[in-house]
Amino acid sequence: MGELIRVEHLKKYFNTPGGKLHAVDDVSFVINEGDTLGVVGESGCGKSTLGRTVLKLIEPTDGKIFYKGRDITDITEKENKQLRKKMQIIFQDPYSSLNPRKTVSELIADPLKAFHMLDKAGRAQKVAQLMDVVGLSQRFANSYPHELDGGRRQRIGVARALSLDPEFIVCDEPVSALDVSIQAQILNLLQDLQRDRGLTYIFVTHDLSVVRHISTDILVMYIGAMVEKCGAKDLFKAPLHPYTKGLLSAIPVPNIDHVREKVKLQGELTSPIEPKDECRFIARCPYATEACKQHMPEFQEVAPNHFVACHNVKTINNM
Amino acid sequence: MSLLEIKNLSIHFVTRYSDVHAVNGVDLTIEEGKTLGLVGETGAGKTTTALGILRLIQKPQGRYESGEIIFKGKDLLKATDDEMRSVRGNEISMIFQDPMTALNPILTVGDQIAEVIHLHGKCSQAEANERAVKMLEMVGIRAERAGEYPHQFSGGMKQRVVIAMALACNPSLLIADEPTTALDVTIQAQVLEMMADLKKGRGTAMLLITHDLGIVAENCDDVAIMYAGEVIEYGTLERIFHNPKHPYTLGLFGSIPSLDKDEERLHPIEGLMPDPAALPAGCKFHDRCAYATDECASCEQELAEMESGHKVRCARVMKGEI
Repeated sequence: MGELIRVEHLKKYFNTPGGKLHAVDDVSFVINEGDTLGVVGESGCGKSTLGRTVLKLIEPTDGKIFYKGRDITDITEKENKQLRKKMQIIFQDPYSSLNPRKTVSELIADPLKAFHMLDKAGRAQKVAQLMDVVGLSQRFANSYPHELDGGRRQRIGVARALSLDPEFIVCDEPVSALDVSIQAQILNLLQDLQRDRGLTYIFVTHDLSVVRHISTDILVMYIGAMVEKCGAKDLFKAPLHPYTKGLLSAIPVPNIDHVREKVKLQGELTSPIEPKDECRFIARCPYATEACKQHMPEFQEVAPNHFVACHNVKTINNM
Repeated sequence: MSLLEIKNLSIHFVTRYSDVHAVNGVDLTIEEGKTLGLVGETGAGKTTTALGILRLIQKPQGRYESGEIIFKGKDLLKATDDEMRSVRGNEISMIFQDPMTALNPILTVGDQIAEVIHLHGKCSQAEANERAVKMLEMVGIRAERAGEYPHQFSGGMKQRVVIAMALACNPSLLIADEPTTALDVTIQAQVLEMMADLKKGRGTAMLLITHDLGIVAENCDDVAIMYAGEVIEYGTLERIFHNPKHPYTLGLFGSIPSLDKDEERLHPIEGLMPDPAALPAGCKFHDRCAYATDECASCEQELAEMESGHKVRCARVMKGEI
């Protein structure tokens, strides 16, 4: 399969009274058609901003975004709107991302209306078909969002994203607000849709077991910067960056026979405003050395398709 | 004698329009120094049970329909308001889910902790202040920060303040309602580890409410699984994790993506939790259960002992059919 999305040195800085906030700092990756890139990190690491910048819901500060080989960084508003048909997003909070004054069928028909696609009867037919696809019973067509539970609301969000037959969807924490049994239903739905329609996803989440389940590749972020990127299974088998190790061993595992070596992380995320030219993880890293203070480590390939940004990756992992 | 014994507790919320059966005949026991995990999805009645223990159910809608809550040999449901006031914060204290809203924004964190000590400890204000600072240091916050306001702390730090406040009077029971749900995973690990250390040092018993089976596995001695206001499976950590029996418990385990096994698809429980204002007859889980028979739809299920230290509310499991 060919490449669908290519991002090169993408940066997004926000102006704050304290200086520039580095939300996304020099991020590059490629996603092939039909694959899923999982983006993980803690609150405030810039993962949602990354997802939105790739869709151009937020203008990037610097860097390039390519869609099917075409540079879409500086296209006109008009071209951008046409592109939206192909690139969609599912939002985190199904409670606040739906207009409370519209019915389910109106909500799902909205994107079709915005692009003047189909006539009224055609739209009704398409809405009914979409409701079937996402597993929403037709009896909810005239209900309002507040009458539905979180899982069903998130299905509306999925139906809206699918209504224009996109090729690429950014899923921004789509299951974080849901209970675990409902979460599993939505994850299965997203996987079925990907298989049937050849969709490509960016899956943004802080839940590591979910990201392992759904992703082809995983990108770990820390304060706007890339920390580690590799195949989903490899990351869990052999994490190389100290932050990834700490993150993985902090997950509580529902298995009482499981004894794991724990890498404990002290402290909390440091400020993303005007970060110094040093490793961003230095304050919490148990392996930090003098070299880490000198400059930010480069993001380099240390094993086939396994990228890490760490000065001491070789010594830490005995490579 | 157990520290806390809840017998047949039922709490309903009655309004003009509906009768919500939030907690239905719950039996739980917590031994001294032990941790009981209370697991379930949104709306299962976990938080209502916890608030019920502290008699914090809002009147007049909230009603205790039946039951006893025996704490240190005394029924809390029969205690006077004055007696309850000396129990809350002193002998039983609670950590709430959201540290962002559990603190008073216009008092410094030191003052908030000192208030609890001053109220219950019968000591001077100066002494209370001094002990408040010690509590802060115990949860890993520097003494200088006692004069700061809650908005100056991060989420993880705020939850530490809440924990310091809950432990300030050395309670014998701590109720923690989803204490780490609002926190990031690395901060969650730090907070849970600190709670475990403090608990061990002081011999505090804990009721840990969570929806995360991973947290249960790492922190609890006993587990109770709740569904639609009922305890549907109850036993020691080992029994529940090695030998889960109730179809709902099995469904919960099947819904979690594994960290080391490769599965193509998850096995969620189909359907949704029933509306607590209109619970189905018979087994509350029967309409989502793959093993349900006609009998399940009509007969109430009993929480029966399957083996020592393991109770299940399912007739078919008891008959050995599942």
